Amino acid sequence: MSASSSRLWLAIRFSDLSLSALKLDGSVEKPVVVIQKKRVIFANALAEAAGAQLDMDITTAQLLSGCEVVERDEEKEQAVLHELSGQFYHFSPYIDRYYSDGLVQSGLVLEISSCLKLFGGLKSFSERVFTHLAQTPYSFEYGLAHSAKAAWYLSFDSYAIAGDETKPLFIQRLNKLPIDLLLDYPKAVETLAKMGFKTFGDIARQIEGQSISSFKKRLGTTFTDILCDIYNIDQNFQQSSLFEKPRDIYRPVEWFEEEIQFDYPVTIVEQLKSAIEDLLQQLSNYLRKRQQQCQYVEWCISDIYKNKEFIKVNSDEPQSHWQLLYDLTLIQFDNKELPFEVDTIKLVCHHVMPLQHKSQVLDFDQNPRRKTVRDYAITIAKLKARLGDSAVYKLGYRDSRVPEVTNAMVALADKCNQELPEIHLKALRPTWLLTKPELIEVKNNQLHWHGYLSVLVGPERVIGDWWEKPVARDYFLARRHDNLPVWIYFDLYSKQWYVHGVFA
Amino acid sequence: MNEIPSEPPTPISLEQLLCRDDLWMGHSQRFTTRAALDTGYEELNTSLLNQGWPLGSLVEVCQQGMQGEWQLFTPSLLRLPGMIVLLNPPASPFAQAFIQAGIDLERLLVVAVANKKDFIAGFIELSRASIGAVLAWQPDESMTYTELRKCQLAASEGTGISVMFRPASAQQQSSPATLRIYAQIVSIGLEITVFKQKGRLQTHQIKPIVLRLPEKWQPVLPYHALNRNASKTKQEVRPLPLASVTPLRGKT
Repeated sequence: MSASSSRLWLAIRFSDLSLSALKLDGSVEKPVVVIQKKRVIFANALAEAAGAQLDMDITTAQLLSGCEVVERDEEKEQAVLHELSGQFYHFSPYIDRYYSDGLVQSGLVLEISSCLKLFGGLKSFSERVFTHLAQTPYSFEYGLAHSAKAAWYLSFDSYAIAGDETKPLFIQRLNKLPIDLLLDYPKAVETLAKMGFKTFGDIARQIEGQSISSFKKRLGTTFTDILCDIYNIDQNFQQSSLFEKPRDIYRPVEWFEEEIQFDYPVTIVEQLKSAIEDLLQQLSNYLRKRQQQCQYVEWCISDIYKNKEFIKVNSDEPQSHWQLLYDLTLIQFDNKELPFEVDTIKLVCHHVMPLQHKSQVLDFDQNPRRKTVRDYAITIAKLKARLGDSAVYKLGYRDSRVPEVTNAMVALADKCNQELPEIHLKALRPTWLLTKPELIEVKNNQLHWHGYLSVLVGPERVIGDWWEKPVARDYFLARRHDNLPVWIYFDLYSKQWYVHGVFA
Repeated sequence: MNEIPSEPPTPISLEQLLCRDDLWMGHSQRFTTRAALDTGYEELNTSLLNQGWPLGSLVEVCQQGMQGEWQLFTPSLLRLPGMIVLLNPPASPFAQAFIQAGIDLERLLVVAVANKKDFIAGFIELSRASIGAVLAWQPDESMTYTELRKCQLAASEGTGISVMFRPASAQQQSSPATLRIYAQIVSIGLEITVFKQKGRLQTHQIKPIVLRLPEKWQPVLPYHALNRNASKTKQEVRPLPLASVTPLRGKT
């Protein structure tokens, strides 16, 4: 076991997080159970007293305790952990989330060795942390140890923090814990129980006597790694590791938000331009420094009476430069009049992503194709900003016998199907398909659609979609009196003629 | 002190005017673009300057509704690399027909617009970007000379082919387009009349060119008439084997 490590971990386990994260009213006064996949994962004190137990099915729990049943919400739990991480960031920058699947418990693990001096020693540090935690609505247990995992498991036993704990003491405390706590590894626990292991201490004695490799053989590397993490055992026997495992630094969520206030009320878009450019350049700087890019920004204009208007700007491709976002923003602003006299303009960018590194071939001859590709992307982004996403599309073939069904509108990012079956490949197909077939009048025993039609080629019988709205048509190529070739059909169900397309 | 006499505004001389890029001087080809795209039709090429559709300039096709526009442009579009953008098409392009014609659907882009303002803005963006071909159909509202000129200038900034389809009535209006043609399907084919071409002065009556329409569009004899025809020509020519003819039902 490596003795050099001076790290100290504090685990804070929120035992009732699955219930308290839901923020229910009066969850203390009545029996409540939290369920997941129809099994009880948490029961409050009243429910437990009435006989509800973990892993019980809902019906039994309800019959026993007449409790209220609530579904677990993992998103809310994560949100709470996230919020708490932000608060603990005042104490230590090394914060990690810990989640036990088997026990359905989650919490935070903090590495605190480097921040004890700042808070005047371990005892005073822990007091401050616990005072802070007492103000939150979440009940908690804590554990202190030389490794993150050991601290987590020690949180299941309660020891007051004296301030002079050492590694041997932690190991001594660990040794008393029952192996049932390793519920996340049920197979290993079962095997260990069969072999007569009851506490962590039994395992530690075995490791000291026989080395870790005997566990590795019987229980697999994953479980052995966990044991090594708990006891801080260095698995490299040849030579002790030079460096310790790096600690994860908690990164608080950051986003870009800047605003410019005008000295005078702005009434026309033209006057906003310089402010927009300035804010976007700031965003561009922000993104460049963090090696990030963004795809979506939001503008908020407001007047002195706190009236607000939001303008969203989306780009097809992630951007780290401001130029395209500027163009797209202006398109959005051009499309609307300013609703009030603008006093403040704010730019917010919440969602960023790491910069995609694009590799490209060195191009000394300035290949014009690359310019075209870039121009194309920008043009499409501008068109979409102006006309909306659905106004720009590609075409594709969809397998069917009914002509209008075969014509598919495909989004630009998707691939379009171009494999035309033999039956369509050889048949006569017009270049234009009318959105809705137009009825042909029959005058003097002749077909009439903006002029008389004479049938030239046909018929081609199309039958399909019998399972939905059955279609049975005879298609013909006809010519109008002004020589325009049109594609017409005789509907066999309605016994009427329609124009469906134009050959052009 | 003597006052410095203010300089009278210098009159613009004819020479200065003639130096302008955008002044059309009949047969002068000084400022017309040389880049052209083969139309795919021999007879049409000969009647066009530089033997093809002018690139980087506005081509205007005046026609009544839909009149063989794909027949006219498909051969050249197959030669042109890049995208084919259909701006405000009059109906839905039928994917099957384009696959048959050999046009890669990945290249074909449809842009729908709601009004004339968006149409002009879209046309300007697209033609300026030189992404390939822009085929645009003028919306129902008529377009002013200024608007057309904006389109022409945008087209001249690009390097692709920019075509605007306009109603037949627009033929009577003046337009800054580099090439203006009138298209109409007649009984023998697609009739093309080139009525304006920058750099070529029309001195005599314009003679329309007729392009042949596909064989598939030609009428086929009704099924019962096939045998009659065959019996007439029995002595001279061997009748075609019936198996190669699609069985047809005639007029209804």
